[in-house]
Formats: sequence, C-alpha cells, structure tokens
Amino acid sequence: MIEANAPRQGQALPRSAGDRPRLRPAARPWAEPSWLGIGIVAVAMLILPWALTLVDGGNYVTHLIITFFVWGIVAQCWNLIMGVSGVYSFGQLALFQVGAFTTGVLSFSVGVSPWVSIWAAPIAAVAAALIIGLPTLRLRGIYVVLLTLAFHELLRNWITTGPQWISGGGYGLARVPRLGFDRLLGPQYERVFYYYTGLVLFGVATYAIWRVLNSPIGLAFRALRDSEDYAISRGVDPFRFKLFLFAFSAFFTGLAGGFSAHYNGLASTSLFDFGVMINLLVMIVLGGWGTFAGPIFGTAILTFLTELLRAFDLYRILALGVAMAVIAVAAPEGLVPVLTRAFHSLFGVLFEADEPPAT
Amino acid sequence: MLKVTDLEAGYGGSQVLHALSLHVGDGETVVVLGPNGHGKSTLLRAISGLIRPSAGRVEFNGVDLTRLPTEQIVGSGVVHIPQGDLPFPEMTVLENLLVGAYRPGAWSERAERIEKVFHLFPALAERKRQLARSLSGGERRMLALGRGLMSKARLLMIDEPSLGLAPLVTEQVYETIDEIKRSGLAILLVDENAEHVAGLADRMYLLEAGVLVREGAAADLLRDEALLAAYLG
Amino acid sequence: MEILDRLVQALYSGVLNGSVYGLMAIGLTLIWGSLRMLNLAHGALYIAGAYIAYGVLGGLGLPVPVTFALAVGGAALVGLFIQLILINPILEKPGRDSAALIATLAASIIVQSTILLIFGGQTKQLPPVVDGGFKVGTTLISYQGLVVIGAAVVCLLLMTIFLRASRLGLAIRAISQNMDAAKLMGIPIVPAFVVVMVISAALAGLAGVLLGSILFFTPSGGFTPMLMAMVVTIFGGLGSVGGTIWAAYIIGLMESFLAVYVGPSWALPGIFLFMIAMLVIRPNGLLGLGEVRRL
Repeated sequence: MIEANAPRQGQALPRSAGDRPRLRPAARPWAEPSWLGIGIVAVAMLILPWALTLVDGGNYVTHLIITFFVWGIVAQCWNLIMGVSGVYSFGQLALFQVGAFTTGVLSFSVGVSPWVSIWAAPIAAVAAALIIGLPTLRLRGIYVVLLTLAFHELLRNWITTGPQWISGGGYGLARVPRLGFDRLLGPQYERVFYYYTGLVLFGVATYAIWRVLNSPIGLAFRALRDSEDYAISRGVDPFRFKLFLFAFSAFFTGLAGGFSAHYNGLASTSLFDFGVMINLLVMIVLGGWGTFAGPIFGTAILTFLTELLRAFDLYRILALGVAMAVIAVAAPEGLVPVLTRAFHSLFGVLFEADEPPAT
Repeated sequence: MLKVTDLEAGYGGSQVLHALSLHVGDGETVVVLGPNGHGKSTLLRAISGLIRPSAGRVEFNGVDLTRLPTEQIVGSGVVHIPQGDLPFPEMTVLENLLVGAYRPGAWSERAERIEKVFHLFPALAERKRQLARSLSGGERRMLALGRGLMSKARLLMIDEPSLGLAPLVTEQVYETIDEIKRSGLAILLVDENAEHVAGLADRMYLLEAGVLVREGAAADLLRDEALLAAYLG
Repeated sequence: MEILDRLVQALYSGVLNGSVYGLMAIGLTLIWGSLRMLNLAHGALYIAGAYIAYGVLGGLGLPVPVTFALAVGGAALVGLFIQLILINPILEKPGRDSAALIATLAASIIVQSTILLIFGGQTKQLPPVVDGGFKVGTTLISYQGLVVIGAAVVCLLLMTIFLRASRLGLAIRAISQNMDAAKLMGIPIVPAFVVVMVISAALAGLAGVLLGSILFFTPSGGFTPMLMAMVVTIFGGLGSVGGTIWAAYIIGLMESFLAVYVGPSWALPGIFLFMIAMLVIRPNGLLGLGEVRRL
C-alpha cells in the first residue's frame, strides 16, 4: 500500500491534517455536502436552460455556461497533470485540437455522422497522448515543457499548412456539422440540448477525476509531485502512472474538443494561440493549482469575467498576466486554498474546536 | 572568538541540535567528537548559515552571526570546510582555489595565497590545470582545505577531514591541519574518531544526540578510559 | 552553379541564425545553470529589444548605434524588474519551480501585451545599421547580415572571456556548479542571480535588435526564437556555455540546410523531431553538466 506520508529516514513524522483544530462535522454543514444539497443543485442545473430561454439574452448565458463546461473539463484535466502530478506539460491545448480536428475532418470532410465521429475525438487524443507521452514522460521536468511545447508547435504547423480538408485554408474547418438538436424542438431550444450534453460530459469528467484523485492512484500522484525520489523508493513507478494520467486526461480533453467542434460548428486553428493557453493556465492557477475544486472555480470566474471585460479586450490579456504574476508571488496555491483557509480560520473563532490546537 | 549559545537547529520537522553551547578562543583548536548522525555536520552548517538555526545565538568576535546569509558569515572570517568537499567539478584546481578567494579582501592577495596553498599542498600544485572532478579522494580533501585557506579565514571549521580516505592519506591530511594550527589559525573540527585529533586538540566536546554531553581540556578527556574505548578505533 | 548557390545560401542563413540563437541561448543556459529555472519570459525580452529600438528611433531619432545600445539597456532593465519583482520573492518558497514557471510566463504576457497596446499588432522592421550587400551566386549577403554575425560573435567571445577570466564570471560558474559551496566561498547568491538575469536579458534584447533589422517582427514574435533557443540550450547541455555556443551554430545550420534542401516548412518540424530523438537517446545533450536533478 502506498504511504505517501510515511516518514523519511532521520526525520520526525510530518504533522498530519489531524493536528489542525477541526470543527465537529455538525458544526460546519457547509463542508459536508448533504444529498439534499446536491439534489437541489442538480435540479436547478436541469431546469436552468429552460428558464433561460424565457429570458432576454438568456440564450447567451446558456452559451457561456456551455463554454464553461467545455473549458472546465480541459482545465481540470490539465490541472490533473500539472498541478496534481507535477508534470509540466503544455500539450493540453494540442490534445484538445486533436479531438476537435479529428471529429471535424471525419464529419465535415469525410461525411461521417457527427454522433459517430465524436467518439473518434477522445480516441485520437489518447493515441496522440501515448505517442507524446512515451518518449517524454521518462524525462525530467524541463524537458517535458520543451517537448510538449514543441508538439504544440508541430501540430499547429501541420494543421495550419495542411491540405484543404484538414486545414480549411489555414483557419480551420468552418462548417463542421452540428449535432442536429434543432430538429428536436425547433431552433430556439437547440441550445438547451447542447447544454444537457455539455452538462453530462462535464459531470462525467468531473466525477471521474474526483474518483481518481481520491483513489490510491490519486495519492500516488500527489506523492510523485511532492517527492519523486521518495515515491520511487516506495515502489511507485512514475512513468506508468504518468502515462496513465496523461492518457486519462487526454481522453476527456479530446472529448471536450470534439464536443466544442460540433457545438460551435467549427474547428479553429486560432485555438492554438498562446493567448488561449494563458487563459487556460490562469483558470488553473487562479482557482487552485493542484486542488480539485480549484480549476472548476477558476474556469467559472474566468468565463464570466471574460464576458464582463469584453469591452476591454486588449487590456484583458494584460490584466490576466498581472493576475497571474500576483498569484505566483503572493498566493502560489491559488484562490481556493487561500479562501478555504480564511474561511476556516474565520469561522474557527466562532465555533468550538474539536481538539486543542497542536503546539 | 566564536561563541555559540543555546543553539537549536534541524531539518524540516525534526530538530537535531538542542540548546547547544560552545566556544572557541583565539588560536584554539577545539574538537567536537560524536557518532555519526548525531549532529556534527548540522552544527557546522548552522554556524555557517547553510541552515538557519531555529533558536540560539552565534557570535563571532562580538558580531552576531545568527541569521545572517552565508556570504556575510564568511566575510567575517568564519570559513566552513564541508563534508564531502563540494568541489566545483567543471573547474580546474586553480579555478577552485581562486573562487575560494572571492571576497574582496582575499582577492587582491590571491597570487600570494595561492603560493602558500601550493606550498602546503604540493600535490595540488602539480595538478593545478586538472579538472576537479578527476581528482582522487585525498586530492579533493586537500583542495577543499586549500580552498578554505584562500580566504582571510580567522576560524576554520572542518567537517570530518578523514572521511572516506585511506590511512596514509589521512595521516597527511591531519599533518597539514597541524601545520595550519601552528600558523595560528583557530580551528573548530568535528570528527567521529578521536585517534588522530588527540594531538591537535586543545579542548574537546562530546556531542551525542544533538546535545553536548561533556567538555573539557583535551588532555583530561583523553585520559578517560571509557571514552577512549568508545571513540578510538 | 546551383549546387554552390544553395550551399552558400544555407551556410549564410545558418551562420546568421546560429549567431542569434547563440546570444539567446547563452542567457537561458546561464539562468538555468545558476537559478535552476526555465525563463519563459526570454522571448518577450528578445522582442522587447526590437520594439524599444523601434520606439526610440521613431520617437527620438537618435543615431542607429545609440538606439540599439539603448534598446539593449532597456531590455536589461525589463529583465531587472522581472527578477526583482517576480523572481526574488519566490526564491525561498517551497514549490518555487512551478511558481517560477508561472511567474515568468506572467512576465512574458505582461511584456507582450504592453507592447501590443503601445505599438499595435502590425509587423514592423528596424532599419539596418549598414545598407546594401553583395551577391554570391544568387544569394544576397547583406552587410547588415555580416554586422549581425560580427556583433554576435564578438558578444559570444566577450561572454566566454567574462565567464572564464573575471571574478564575477567565476562566481556565476561556481554557483551553477555547486550552490552550497559557492555560498561557503562568500559569494552573494541573490545579487549574482540578478546579474545573471540582467546579462541574459541584455543578450536577448541584443538578439532581438540585431534580427529586427533583418526580419519583420510582431509582439508575439519572440515565441519561436525562444523555443529554438531552448532547443539549443538543451542540445548544448543545460548550464554549459561552451556547448551552447557550438549547439547554436549546429542547430542554426541544421535549420537552414533543412529549409534550403528540403523545404522551408520542414525546418522547424525537422528541428523539433531531431530534438525529440536526441532527448530520448542522449538526454544530457552535447556537453551537458551531468544529471539534471531539479526541474
């Protein structure tokens, strides 16, 4: 059994989480989600798109939420690799595009039904991940940065300058078939079904990632990040874990890419732009590098913030850069851990502690 | 000269040194004996600033060195010759020695200092253009000592000079340390084995589990039968 | 003869590119060697040099060599700010590897978007120091190109001499070979880092200024040269200056030969594929400093 917290030779036992004063479960209902709470949120999520169709501009909000679903998946996947297991891969966007263009080419240029071709997206992404991963993941951190950046560039180059049926003249495929939801209840309700599809994908991906994070594999990943040498000495084989992880996150990323292509009706080469990667990175860093809720939180903030700041588009990237810089220097763990701690310490004053604080 | 008071230090969550106090006088050679893993290296590293003490005070000629960055501690004349030698592998012997004279005061005198070091360690002179990574264990040890002497050291702290060396080379190393001692430099030496230091030490301390359990004039401690049994051979 | 023509073309662009890559890669390898950090802001510093020169020329109309010198100084200043504000504060913290990545990435975004805001996104070019050129066969060899090569070679030589023969250079090499030992020699570590960053930024800025008079540039134009510089740095061995200089010219020539003999769109992919192959077979590069332990 992998014991990620076992002591190293010559060192005392590290203090475990139990040393902090903890509130009794009954005293902090916000930490333990009740089934009722989840149920209410779930129902709300299901009703929401319908409610939005009745509101002016609600369609646009639905679009934002769908965008949140797509990038939320990608952000969580990237976080799983970079934040949780400490593999500095910059290839996530490329894998997304592999998904998008695979299904795009199959459905647009070849003529396969989008409902079939969309499944090729995650498979192609996993294949690509394995191809990159096999040589790359054996190497130490900085080389991974380089190789994944190189892969990104290579793919961008290849797709942009490729034949018409891939590159669409350099900008991407512009008339990717959509999923035909407009035939169900009419065009004004089309988005609702995209919403549900996105919700399902997001839910499945989030759940899968949550399960992985809390499984022995997840512990192993965190051990890898905290001390690779120690984890190796305890029998964790970093390479196989990293490869699995890489493929796992590629699967959902590719799926998100495929869905995005069919939702937006296009597979665009502009998604290779560095700005998009920065956006994604901020989602992870802002929310909480290496945490579970962090990327979800970060994606949500960024998606809705982007809309608010649409007028200031030029300044937006600058602001993102500044935000990232501030976080890197002041709060490298991201907002979620910082806020969580602030929350705990604030409310810890108001409620009795379970045990006396450790000295 | 050097006054350490109630020093506490450790790594990560574990504390290695407990309320440790010692002193080294002008021109004195003080030896700290102790078994492996009991904090000898930690002691020197805490004094030279490679690790930060969590409590206590290090004073050298009246100056408080306790939480200063290493470069200032070295600047005040406390030179630490570390365990494992830590040579600069891709530099020649000559370059290694030159780095030792980095501080401005020593740099201007570097030519003379190199002469002195070569005089003390003829083997280094022969190999002055050789890369440090190709030196033998004994040569590395000499390089480490020579490098330490390149600065304007007033107190030399040496960590286990005999570690990993063949008996013959060990003899030479201690003889050289004796010569250094005779030149008037104060020395704080930590070692596991009392055999070679017997002739060198003016005063001795015993370090066990991060605590100094005995101290006294070397002559006194060395007469102790039990001690001789534990720390010789 | 066509064979000779292509050869000359490939050699000329190869040496030209190699010189510029060398300037950029030296900075990267110094930063890696001493700070153990990958500087993702390097491309931004490169392009900042070009833009500062452009801005100074347009705004102040100073003679070209003065402008270029100012641009290099400007890039060095930007590097100084980055080091003081973003990097020094995180040096002591745990998890500083990822924090450094994010911090330098953030710096890169800030610099690039500031340039975009000030200068706009259209491509620009700098006027050459010297006009004109001569032809060897069908290849045009511009005097400016020779100036670039000359300036780069001189700088590379100066850097090598600096590192080998000066007290500060010795200190920087010491830090990159063994940080603890360097501390024990009394070398002030944080100021040394600042010096390394400033030198590195100046070299990157110089590369940008030099190449800016030959190629067009845009605010995001620093990314690909930075990537190539990283390839060079790894090929030459992280932390090894001599190896890096060799690697710069080898990669520069490789790129131009690929472009001339196989096709321009094969140059970059070819280099990257080569790099992947090299990393799999010989991860320490040409003259690397042994096992890279952190990052």
